[in-house]
Amino acid sequence: MNFNSTDELPLSGIRALELSEIWAGPYCGCLLSDMGAEVIKIESIQRIARGPINPSPDGMYPEQDPGNHPWNRQANFNSTNRNKKGLTLDLKTRLGVEAFSNLVKVSDIVFCNYARTVMEGFGLGYEQVKSIKPDIIYLLMPGYGNTGPYKNYRSMGMAIDAITGHSYLRGYPDMDHTSNSLVHHPDAAAAVNATLALSTALVHRELTGEGQFIDMSQAESFMTHMGEMFIEYQMSGIPRNRRGNRHPGYAPQGAYKCEGEDNWIAISITNAEQWNLFCEIISLDLDKDPRFSTVEGRIKNHDDLDAVITTWTSVRERYDVMNALQAKGIPSGVVLNCGPDTYADPHLNEREFFQIVEHPEAGIFPMSGPVLRFNSSYGSVTHNPSPTLGQHNNYILEDILGYSKSKIELMEHMEIIGTVPLPGADLGGSRRAAKEQARQKNTTLNNAENE
Amino acid sequence: MPYTALKKFTVLDLSNRLAGSFCAKTLGLYGCEVIKIEPPSGDLTRKWSDSPNSCEPGDSPLFHHLNAGKKSVTLNIDSPEGRDILGILIQKSGVLIETFQPGRMESLGFSYKSISDTNPGLIMTSVTPYGQTGPHSEFDYTELTVFAMSGAMHREGLPNRYPIRYGAEVAQYYSGNLAAAATVSALLKFLRKGKGDWLDISIQECMAGHPHQIGRRAPFIYSGELDPREQPRISASGTREPYAVGTFRCKDGFMSFLPLGARMWPNIARMIDREDLISNPLFEDSDKRTANRIELESIFQGWLNERTRQEIFEAIQEAGIPGSPILRSDEVMKNEQFLNREYFTLVDHPQQGQIKLTGDPFRLSAVDKMPLRPAPLLGEHTEQVLTETIGIDTNHFMSLRERGIV
Repeated sequence: MNFNSTDELPLSGIRALELSEIWAGPYCGCLLSDMGAEVIKIESIQRIARGPINPSPDGMYPEQDPGNHPWNRQANFNSTNRNKKGLTLDLKTRLGVEAFSNLVKVSDIVFCNYARTVMEGFGLGYEQVKSIKPDIIYLLMPGYGNTGPYKNYRSMGMAIDAITGHSYLRGYPDMDHTSNSLVHHPDAAAAVNATLALSTALVHRELTGEGQFIDMSQAESFMTHMGEMFIEYQMSGIPRNRRGNRHPGYAPQGAYKCEGEDNWIAISITNAEQWNLFCEIISLDLDKDPRFSTVEGRIKNHDDLDAVITTWTSVRERYDVMNALQAKGIPSGVVLNCGPDTYADPHLNEREFFQIVEHPEAGIFPMSGPVLRFNSSYGSVTHNPSPTLGQHNNYILEDILGYSKSKIELMEHMEIIGTVPLPGADLGGSRRAAKEQARQKNTTLNNAENE
Repeated sequence: MPYTALKKFTVLDLSNRLAGSFCAKTLGLYGCEVIKIEPPSGDLTRKWSDSPNSCEPGDSPLFHHLNAGKKSVTLNIDSPEGRDILGILIQKSGVLIETFQPGRMESLGFSYKSISDTNPGLIMTSVTPYGQTGPHSEFDYTELTVFAMSGAMHREGLPNRYPIRYGAEVAQYYSGNLAAAATVSALLKFLRKGKGDWLDISIQECMAGHPHQIGRRAPFIYSGELDPREQPRISASGTREPYAVGTFRCKDGFMSFLPLGARMWPNIARMIDREDLISNPLFEDSDKRTANRIELESIFQGWLNERTRQEIFEAIQEAGIPGSPILRSDEVMKNEQFLNREYFTLVDHPQQGQIKLTGDPFRLSAVDKMPLRPAPLLGEHTEQVLTETIGIDTNHFMSLRERGIV
């Protein structure tokens, strides 16, 4: 079972050029590289797109220290760019475009999650790239697609969440939408659909020799994840409303407080058999209460039922509750937080979901593992660190493209490639971090002087 | 409308819940012939009461969505003859999708090892809540409980209230979609090397490995930073313009905005006709605007109160600010962009009449299209598949039917 070789991975031998930032594009590259593709992430030293989206400046660096190269120590970047190779290129220069074109000749895929017209602006739209390599597979994924009245509209995951109807379903049913969370799932949906699109196009190319352009709308790809609600509307004439944690067809269902601070257990009772077993376990004479004897009654009196369940759960340890319920086949799960809880989860650990990764500038940490498990490549090393800025410039230009050392030096000299942002470069999200770093250094210096 | 890219491949869909069924449906959208095996009583989701008031009589909206394009074959796999037929179907398939509790396939006589001995090119895709191994592998689940175990739910909602899930069944859909991407990648390897594979897809891991979860877990493991539930405006006060981030009420509903970074400020000020604020020292940099966000938010809210979602949507395009109106499902179906791109696809269902279904998740320029069939009636294709694909003669088929095996 243990081949211990990435050759067995399904996309081994495939090379993809990634031009993307933030979530959807980078995670697509992550999935492709998890499956064995060589993904070359093309960045530039003129504009750094390694910024954090959410963590505070304190949280995004190892030991809260930005170090001398904060762009290489970003938590977000380092978690969503595993297994890739890093190349910097200034695509506004002739030599930069030439290097890109040479890479296209030996690549299978170009994908991009920038605004729809960015690549065209570099003279590297689909038609141009196709003229360099006729069977190239080329994907653009603007929020609303490559045609139609919104084709040039700016979007982020939040906008897609809103326009697809998903935001309308989120949040507490007794509050309005202004309390909705800022975490948005459409980025992930776009990443996986782009990966599926590229794999499908690779199969088509394998069978026919043809490459192609793929037009992906992040909104359209995400709507397939809730298609039933559009059918429901057509059948009933009633648009679906928010449900919170409840279910219209069974009860009880919810998150219930457990012993300890902010500890919760999710419980779903989906049928009469589970309800009877549940009543036996919590034995508060629930089964004798006529309000709860039928599913209709439990749905109608859900608040009262929740209060009774909470008196039972709130004095119990959450894993004990889950294990007691699961022992009887009742769906339940601890509401794990994203930090210490998931790292301590015995199941994720037994499955080796976390892998120890040594990053040259960020240090050694257990990072969340790849999620696609293939029996044939079981045990192979599949989580390599995210590239530092321009880390693989030499490997790519020299070993893949056969550039001479002097040409590479010339490109460095002309600031087409490099490993540190240029002075005055747009640092994106790193800007605030750099500012914060400067402030901290000044404080340290002042303190030292005062002492 | 489905594309024909994967028409060379037959998918046997043995799944009984959402994730596996969506995986198979998606493969069908790109050309696979998908044969759904149902127990003679019908798939569970045909009657799932997920949508009150809407589905009597007939199948549930969820079933229509998950099974459009598939063929339906009924088969009692608990009978020896049913299992024999299943074995023949597996031999003739390129992909097998199953969602049983780990070990069930083996107990039916179809471990991956025994299948691959006779059909070495087969891709077997197992989609389960917690994967094939580990202490929780036999846990039962719903969307809510597996979402809870992924790490995604704890930080959803407000600090003084209970954690809350997302709006749709995203953990299962997302995992089914990942399973489809992995399955097609495995098909590429099959074409190149002639080898099959077995995929172990865990819904918990798919969501725990979700970009937003790993992007939040890294700050914890890097520096101990926790990510608790927070008021949305407070959690936005990092690098953005927090007085304009998140969801706001306007004249006819709600709008969501995500202005990224300080460079958006002059655009916002001009958009709300308050260019004078740009030079106001109270708001001169991002830190000051964060500190004085209540005041700015109330100015911004005043502008929103006077305008409709459509007016604001147009104004933010002009100003270059990402954002969208929050639409209900009926409004989504009437949205001009989706209409212009002919996204929703009309099918004609023999019982339900015409239904519009969600369309292609992505569009392939070099591949032919084919019509989308509605979800199948129960056992609609049993006779066709058994006689044409397996070569069972009519008498044998009638006998199987009389004995309730099909």
